Amino acid sequence: MKRLLRAFILSSMSLSLVACGGTDSEKAEGKGDVTLETIKVLGMSANEMDLNILADQLTKANFDVDVNMQPDYSSYSAAVDAGDWDLALTGWTTVTGNPDYAVRDIFGTAGAYNNQNLSDPKVDELIEKASTETSEKYITTYKELENVLVNENAYMLPLYSSLRMQAVNTDLMEPTMRQPKSRSAVWESWTYKDASLNATRPFIMTQTSSILTSLDPIQANDGSINQLSSNMNIRIINLTDEDEIEADGSLSYNYAIAEGNSEYYFLLRDNVNFSKIEDKKAVDTGVKVGAEDVVFTLNRAKDQNSVPLHKTYGLHSHMEEISIVTDIEELNTIKESNTGVPIMEMLMNGMETPITSLTADKTQADNANGVYQVVKIKTIKPFPQVLNYLAHQSAGILNAEQVTSINSKFDVATYDATKDVCYGDFNAIKSGDNHLWMSGPYALTYVDDYEVAFQKNPGYMVGTEYEPKIKDIVVKFIKDNVSATSAFRSGEVDFLPAVDVTQVEILDAEEKFEVMKRSSNGVSYAVFNLAEGNKFTDLDLRKAVLYAVDQQPFIAVKNNLVNPAFSTISTLIDTGNVHVGDPAKSAEYLAAYQAKAE
Amino acid sequence: MIKAENQAGMEFYQKKVNKRKLSGSLEYITSKLSWQVSLVITIIALLSSIDIFSPNTSEVNKIPLIISIIFLFEFIIQFAIYKKITAQIISNEGQIGDDTRKMGWILLPFVITGNFFMFIAGFMLIKKHKTLEYQLCVYSSLTTISILLLSSLNLFKDSLVSTFMLGISAYGIYAVINLITLYFAGIYTVEKRPDKKFLPLALIGIIGLITGNVFSFLMGTISIAKYFNKNEEVTIEWVDVIRRLFKNYMAAIGMLIVVFLISVSIASLLTFDYDIATLNNYSTLLQSPSLMYPFGTDELGRCVFTRIVFGARISLLVGLVATIVPIIIGGFLGAISGYYGGKTDNILMRLLDVLYAVPGILLAIAIIAAFGVSTMNLILALSIGGIPSYARTVRATVMSLAGQEFVEAAKACGATNGTIIFKHIIPNSLAPVIVRATMGIGSAVLSTSSLSFLGLGVASHVPEWGNILKAGSTYLETNPYIAIFPGLAIITIVLAFNYFGDGLRDALDPKLK
Repeated sequence: MKRLLRAFILSSMSLSLVACGGTDSEKAEGKGDVTLETIKVLGMSANEMDLNILADQLTKANFDVDVNMQPDYSSYSAAVDAGDWDLALTGWTTVTGNPDYAVRDIFGTAGAYNNQNLSDPKVDELIEKASTETSEKYITTYKELENVLVNENAYMLPLYSSLRMQAVNTDLMEPTMRQPKSRSAVWESWTYKDASLNATRPFIMTQTSSILTSLDPIQANDGSINQLSSNMNIRIINLTDEDEIEADGSLSYNYAIAEGNSEYYFLLRDNVNFSKIEDKKAVDTGVKVGAEDVVFTLNRAKDQNSVPLHKTYGLHSHMEEISIVTDIEELNTIKESNTGVPIMEMLMNGMETPITSLTADKTQADNANGVYQVVKIKTIKPFPQVLNYLAHQSAGILNAEQVTSINSKFDVATYDATKDVCYGDFNAIKSGDNHLWMSGPYALTYVDDYEVAFQKNPGYMVGTEYEPKIKDIVVKFIKDNVSATSAFRSGEVDFLPAVDVTQVEILDAEEKFEVMKRSSNGVSYAVFNLAEGNKFTDLDLRKAVLYAVDQQPFIAVKNNLVNPAFSTISTLIDTGNVHVGDPAKSAEYLAAYQAKAE
Repeated sequence: MIKAENQAGMEFYQKKVNKRKLSGSLEYITSKLSWQVSLVITIIALLSSIDIFSPNTSEVNKIPLIISIIFLFEFIIQFAIYKKITAQIISNEGQIGDDTRKMGWILLPFVITGNFFMFIAGFMLIKKHKTLEYQLCVYSSLTTISILLLSSLNLFKDSLVSTFMLGISAYGIYAVINLITLYFAGIYTVEKRPDKKFLPLALIGIIGLITGNVFSFLMGTISIAKYFNKNEEVTIEWVDVIRRLFKNYMAAIGMLIVVFLISVSIASLLTFDYDIATLNNYSTLLQSPSLMYPFGTDELGRCVFTRIVFGARISLLVGLVATIVPIIIGGFLGAISGYYGGKTDNILMRLLDVLYAVPGILLAIAIIAAFGVSTMNLILALSIGGIPSYARTVRATVMSLAGQEFVEAAKACGATNGTIIFKHIIPNSLAPVIVRATMGIGSAVLSTSSLSFLGLGVASHVPEWGNILKAGSTYLETNPYIAIFPGLAIITIVLAFNYFGDGLRDALDPKLK
């Protein structure tokens, strides 16, 4: 017995020793005499495949890659802030469709999402210069900016731009639903194939995040609320599916840019009412959405201290003054920027009833009889892209009285999240205190751990083509994309707003599902940590990494369902720049760095 | 009427006699399993050659069809021999004829097709008196030949690892040595003391342990132990245990698979290319199984076969260490509380009960969530969860031993408590622990894979079976093979440990001697 034990222990110990010893010797034999440069790559588990490909390419280029994969966005952000990383995999979606938004916040010295400590006067200068230019002129400026960011300084490492892929059950709906590039889904345009279902059958879709940051539009700007908030609150301007500015479907009939590109006029509708919730049903408050609400909303958007945790100040800080125009003469004298015709002519384009008088009181507005409201926005400096920011969900119009009544109960400076309740507070709404007054086509009726439900706003452009068709829309929270796809295939869900690349083939194979694909403004890229003391402040080392990574593998692994990209601007402007990996160049720069280090 | 009843009684009796005769014959058992497995593989391969999910397409998958035909052929041969063996055993002579035994040679070459059941059946048939050494030699040769075959699959790949030729020739030579040893084991070893001429081969067999070949190691130690055994009339106890273990064919197969996986983990150092398993190859994404990629490639173009081969290493390592650590800690705590009893027992056991109340996998998840994902933390997490059950097992045995005469005798002689515990009690209470541990390794491997599947095990690029399965689960509908093969590997290793553990329990049970 004893000997058997001895034999057993001896053999198992020697085996473990052999196995352990093996892994060590193998590492040493690795790459011969080349010294490996360590690089710490940070990312999220949702991008596991990207991280793997990135690490793989860097390993092949003689880097010793240490991958730090965080389970979710909040722990990822914490790790980014902690600063113990060299290269962070990240992504940016330009939801406003304008190039300024695609660069200012992430590469500008004062950018809210500039996590890499990038501070380059040349970059700042080019961002400022391009922002004052019109779309014809800014192409060359942005191209120069791209060159500075990638080719010259290798501040960032572009990977790919994703497609927007949505799947719909074609038994229920035509697969010709609107597919905007930047704008969130336009719910009011949706209708069932069988129109009789519109009033009775709730339309069910999914979303990954079950925690909504805040339902005050200016307090949040992320995937958890973008689509919801866009449909809950109307804006004074919209984007077309191809990111052009348009008034169609917004609170304005028409808009006009005055000469000098710093004054903007909007002619408002009078047929939108606020909705509120009573007994989990959307009811019409009878209160019009008017110019006073627009002025109130935009004034608080541009005021950094209007609310605690103001997340979108950067988007709206360009506005200087928002006012209601009451003088008709002003519209006749001031000329439009491009054509030189009076503003009035632009605002009256396609209108049946001409303006007889303007009013500052929304209750007096009566468009059928020629009584209109006009809002004027003045920017600090000429800034045509302000219109894109006004089309963003954060510029959704709120009711002045309702917001004030909630937010006057506490002081912004001494706000305490544990006891004070802001307008749009997610936890308060979740527990049943739904204080929202909503100006958009849909009203949020309730939200719990599993879903958030909406009902059409009964006072929203009734009788026009913009009136919502489907009465109830439910957004289910399904954290995992693959589970969401399963729910969709089993018929539990009618619409998938984001299809995973691995699931496209499966869905395409089934006749009753259609995956709608189009280009989007989502770009995946990686940034270098430029904080003082980090070794990646060295340009040669950054370039060694830049040229070690090629975009083709990402495209191949993702089954050609992503496109090449050169920067976050690539999806907005065709600058003609292309990034190509070059192992020889990479080795050259790495050798140059190592020669310096010795 | 009475005659008819008598007749029926006789038939029943005859059947029982036949059954007992057959179940006592290793030739019968091995050849029966061999034809059964061949038939099952034939059917599976045939089914996968025609796409059963889309019956309209007339396309036939060639490779599975060829496999199916080969195994059908093997099945026919094996079945014919099986029938002959059965007839001869049942016949009045009750013995297998020499000409039938010679037919065993026919079965051997089929090992090239991977049918190791036929190889075993063949060798069991050839030799009439099968000593334990002979049997061990058969299993040892089989292990080496299987590794040789598995490694040579790499020949179909574009590039070979630089140590491949060295490795394959070393294993080739070792296989020849194994077969030579097998031949001489048939001649020189007998039930009692083996011939002196066999000793050098026995020594070589012991050295064979560095390849992970536990069979050749056991064979070597047994022959040497037998040779130096002073009293020939008394058998060595631990040799008897192993003999009883090998009487149970399923346990032997279980051990064969375990030893094979251990050997593969070691062989892969030389004959397999770690880069193919870990580095992405973007020109071979999601390819179906072929000769170059026997199990296909995954979504990053890595060879699933090579990944599974390397995965065996990490699974076994974690499984072994995560079992040995709790045995040591739990065994120590259990022995103390069982021996001293009273308050010591109460305190220790209540503390361990608290640990016992937390589900093992939840505890592991909590530990990994707190300390981060790494192989060390994984081992730690699995080990801690295993402590209470080993402590309980040891405590129960120790309590029953503590009152026995030999312990009292030791006390009367003035032995200290430490001496009694470590010299008398622990060695005598090991049998149930060993059995438990063998089964425990299987479940530790399973836990490792489960945690990896949840993203909590080893890092995701590391080839580990749970990781491969996780990657495959995304492609279950379009490329099912990525998930099927690691799944089969996990099932096989857990079953192997369970059969081995079962056999070990029976072999160690004094009542079943």
